[in-house]
Amino acid sequence: MRVMGTRTTPAELPKPGAPVRARPWLRSAEARHQAWGYLFLAPMFVLLIAFKFVPMVQAFYLSLTSYDLLSPPKFVGLRNFVTLLEDPLFHQSVSVTAYYVFGTCVLIWFLALGMALIFNAPLPAKNTLRTIYFLPAIVPVVVYAIIWLFMFHPYGLLNVALHGIGLPAIHWLTDTRAVLPGFILAGLWRFVPYFMIIYLAGLQNIPHEYYEAAAIDGAAGAQAFGFVTLPLLRPTILLVMVVSIILMSKVFTNVLIITGGGPDGATRVLSLFIYQTGFQFFKMGLASAASIFLLFGTMTFTLLQLRLFRDDARG
Amino acid sequence: MARRLGALYWIGVLLVVAWGVVQLTPILWMISTSLKPLNRVFDLPIQWIPRPPQWANYPAAWNQFPFARYFVNSFIVSLSVTVLNVFLCGLAGYSLAKYRYFGQRALFIAILSTLMLPIEVLMVPTFLIVKSLGWLNTYQGLIIPVVADAFGVFLMRQFMLGLPDSLVEAARIDGAGELGTYFRIVVPLIWPAVLTLAIFTWRETWDAFVWPYIIITNDSLRTVPIGLQRFQEQYVTTYNSVMAISTIAMIPMVLLFFFFQRAFIRGIALSGLKE
Repeated sequence: MRVMGTRTTPAELPKPGAPVRARPWLRSAEARHQAWGYLFLAPMFVLLIAFKFVPMVQAFYLSLTSYDLLSPPKFVGLRNFVTLLEDPLFHQSVSVTAYYVFGTCVLIWFLALGMALIFNAPLPAKNTLRTIYFLPAIVPVVVYAIIWLFMFHPYGLLNVALHGIGLPAIHWLTDTRAVLPGFILAGLWRFVPYFMIIYLAGLQNIPHEYYEAAAIDGAAGAQAFGFVTLPLLRPTILLVMVVSIILMSKVFTNVLIITGGGPDGATRVLSLFIYQTGFQFFKMGLASAASIFLLFGTMTFTLLQLRLFRDDARG
Repeated sequence: MARRLGALYWIGVLLVVAWGVVQLTPILWMISTSLKPLNRVFDLPIQWIPRPPQWANYPAAWNQFPFARYFVNSFIVSLSVTVLNVFLCGLAGYSLAKYRYFGQRALFIAILSTLMLPIEVLMVPTFLIVKSLGWLNTYQGLIIPVVADAFGVFLMRQFMLGLPDSLVEAARIDGAGELGTYFRIVVPLIWPAVLTLAIFTWRETWDAFVWPYIIITNDSLRTVPIGLQRFQEQYVTTYNSVMAISTIAMIPMVLLFFFFQRAFIRGIALSGLKE
């Protein structure tokens, strides 16, 4: 049956000493094209393997061990997960994170949309105003934390403002009920302008003809908003919702600097819980288990986000 | 449309301006505090323009900790990460957009999936890897793990998909070579994307806190963000010095913002796509 194959005629076999024939595979343009493709991808991909894929696998592995950095990791099965589920501090951390994330996000959705709608109108000195709004979003995150540490001071600007309108001072940093609302306020200051920009982009994509058509049909003001703006803005609104949730759940630096998780754990968000468990109490296994929880949380939202983008791209 | 609404329009203007004031006030308070003597920091009513301004707070704060060193470190790290990341992301994006090979789709999805891993999830194992490499308290420890970020791959690929294949083909046929085609034809055409990614990466790195905080204990390797945090270690918070140094730390970002406003805002809008 081998007679049928005419591919390996002696003439095509590589001759010893003939360099061009030594690697016949690379001779074809197609193969060379593929090789360059792999070559260009390789450096980044190797880095990603070393610092993303391997750590990810390791996080899963470590979550099943007990490891204090001194003696080698000891396999403990699912015990870390059980410990976490029974740990009131972990419960507190999850609810603190949820409170902060959703508290900030819901306010962002409405405030940013409201500001974007106003800002979409022809206003004087628009560019200057936009720059000013944006300043909080561009200050380095540590400076952001320091500014708000100062704002929350018993004699800080927040209490000065409260005093100015005749309200009693609030102990922003020591009152367990006031501290998270304070952080939410800080989050709004930094992130509302950011999401306003995203909304604005969406608003500017709505063709003007739609409003004209609505006006002809007798819809103006609130009606035009309800029948034209909102439905056409739907993809942007969904985008803002998902992105804001993901972004807010990354909160870490400002909490670490401003309160360190206090008072009484009232601001110990999940990322801080992981950090403290791992790097202050040296329970690497337990910290990894907690990070798996965080991973599933953010992954849900990220998948949702990717899906939205795909739908968006399809139109 | 809004102009016809009359009163409503002016309420809008008022709101927009008022919001601008609210956004600006904490920053102005920071700058104003940086120019006050320590015992007048919380004086009421607030003195927005301190008289006389204590300019000496600035050199005093600057010299309290080795900030020149921290700035140099931040500069070295941000520049290295930005150059390496943009370079490698560009190549990888080019490979994914303009080549066809076996397993390409699977590789792309694998790369994309790394965007779902926030640093908080990976910080323990990455710390252990960097530790086993002996990279704690080193520049490479500050740089290499941060370069491994696929966001730019995604961005570059999207931009390069927009380039016509015929253009790349033509350059190849003209004998520009694979690298030549990339650097002389493709890169100039996607320059806005390169600039956006560079500014975005620079900003993220200049601002990075968590990672340097975990792996750096050696004072001479501290970057600006973790250098700033040292004011917190003090027994008494010298608010005026902290605010002076914070104002200085803000300047590079603000300058970058003013010079590259469009690319900067585009970059910020993109950061939402990340993680």
